[in-house]
Amino acid sequence: MVEELTVSGLAANLAAYIRHRLPDAEGVEVTGLERIFGGASRETYRFVLSYHLNGQALSRPLILRRDPPGSLIETQRAVEFEAYRAFYGTAVPVPEPLWLEEDAHWLDYPFFIMQEVQGFEANPQLIVLPPYAEHAQRFAERKWTILGEIAKADPAALGLIGVMEPVAPDQCWQRELAHWEKAIDQDELAPQPVIRAAIRWLRRNPPQPAQKISVVHADFRTGNFLYDTEGRIHAILDWEMVHLGDPLEDLAWGLNPVWRWAHDERAGGLVPQDEAIRIWERASGLRAMSDALHWWEVFSSVKGQGIWVSGAKEFTDGKNQDLILALSSWLMQNSQDRAVLAELGYLS
Amino acid sequence: MRPDVDRFIDVVASYLMAQLAPTLASQYDQSNVTILAVLLMAVREEFERAAARRVEENRALRRLFAEAAPVVQAPALRQRLQEAAAGADASLLVSDLERSNSALRALLIDLHAHVEDLTAPAARRIEAAIWQELVASTERRRLMMGPF
Repeated sequence: MVEELTVSGLAANLAAYIRHRLPDAEGVEVTGLERIFGGASRETYRFVLSYHLNGQALSRPLILRRDPPGSLIETQRAVEFEAYRAFYGTAVPVPEPLWLEEDAHWLDYPFFIMQEVQGFEANPQLIVLPPYAEHAQRFAERKWTILGEIAKADPAALGLIGVMEPVAPDQCWQRELAHWEKAIDQDELAPQPVIRAAIRWLRRNPPQPAQKISVVHADFRTGNFLYDTEGRIHAILDWEMVHLGDPLEDLAWGLNPVWRWAHDERAGGLVPQDEAIRIWERASGLRAMSDALHWWEVFSSVKGQGIWVSGAKEFTDGKNQDLILALSSWLMQNSQDRAVLAELGYLS
Repeated sequence: MRPDVDRFIDVVASYLMAQLAPTLASQYDQSNVTILAVLLMAVREEFERAAARRVEENRALRRLFAEAAPVVQAPALRQRLQEAAAGADASLLVSDLERSNSALRALLIDLHAHVEDLTAPAARRIEAAIWQELVASTERRRLMMGPF
């Protein structure tokens, strides 16, 4: 068992690591290191890096994303980093990724470091309130246009073939469903009759093959991007589950009823679902065929429940006792069941 | 016990959110204390109904199994349904009720998968009753603060 580093110990080790990465830099300092919320599967810290290079004083706000104790998704760390690298500087705004470190000896666990995009909001519950709410249409245009850009992008041109597991267009749905069914099999703390019925429905009603193989962010929703008071989106975050697959998976996930933060029919708390789909189709050049999209919407609730039951298991087992896991387990599991009942037509 | 649990939790949650959280220097600690307050409010809601909803659901499931057993084609499943339908909750401890609820809901999954493969009108009637119970079960668990 690794003895946990204190924040000051973590800052000192981080400075040592950065000296190793920037051998020509002098006076390397890490200040203001503090933990922030940023996805439950990795610990997220912000800090300021200061140093001198060629006589010039430099300072930069950065983000450290470190694997937590007991992390079960080690192989995804490099994939997440590569996704940031691939999209940095494109039409999909992401923070600049700097260093990926798989060697645990520096900070006890593997980690990566990236730019901090400062001064913006991420809280999904605030975007539906003043002063943000008046820009709902503009947020929606940007949000689903960016998702359309991700769907349109060529994974090979982005250098992501070989980084992410390949999948054939007619196998996307089977792979994803098997993955999340297995997660529920392994982690459920109580039987899930609603989700089990949904899984059987999904197997009886397979969707048509993917129109193309796209990069799938896999958690693209209100809450995982940074926004401002003028309706602009500055960075897409939390690429922890990124993979290659059917672009409709991403569209359906963001449309899930559990993300209706305004507590009305608006997708993501922003615009009616048809409007979101229209923006996405225009930006991606793809079609959101209603049967296939409906399959992926039902799947989204299975995946959502997979996430919530896995979080509940980690919390219960003591592997990760971040309170956000307890909160999401309690609040989201029932909402996710309600969502899938609505998607299957049993709840109005 | 007095004060009542709901009153006690109201006071504690309010203290955490309105008084303690703003005094904390770390944004992460502030957020955690706020989450703790929200969790306590969910616990407040669940505490009041914890035994009642499980008793209600276990009875509903046993009634459903009694109705379904004659329709079921597989002898082993039919016997499990008959045995479960004849059962009762001897203890009102939440942990005991939860244990029997989990066993009954696991059996409900098996029954649902079985009747989906049957073609008789009686099977459709049982399937409809199962969906009705699944909707009722999500309503029993609904939390005021849930997003949907």
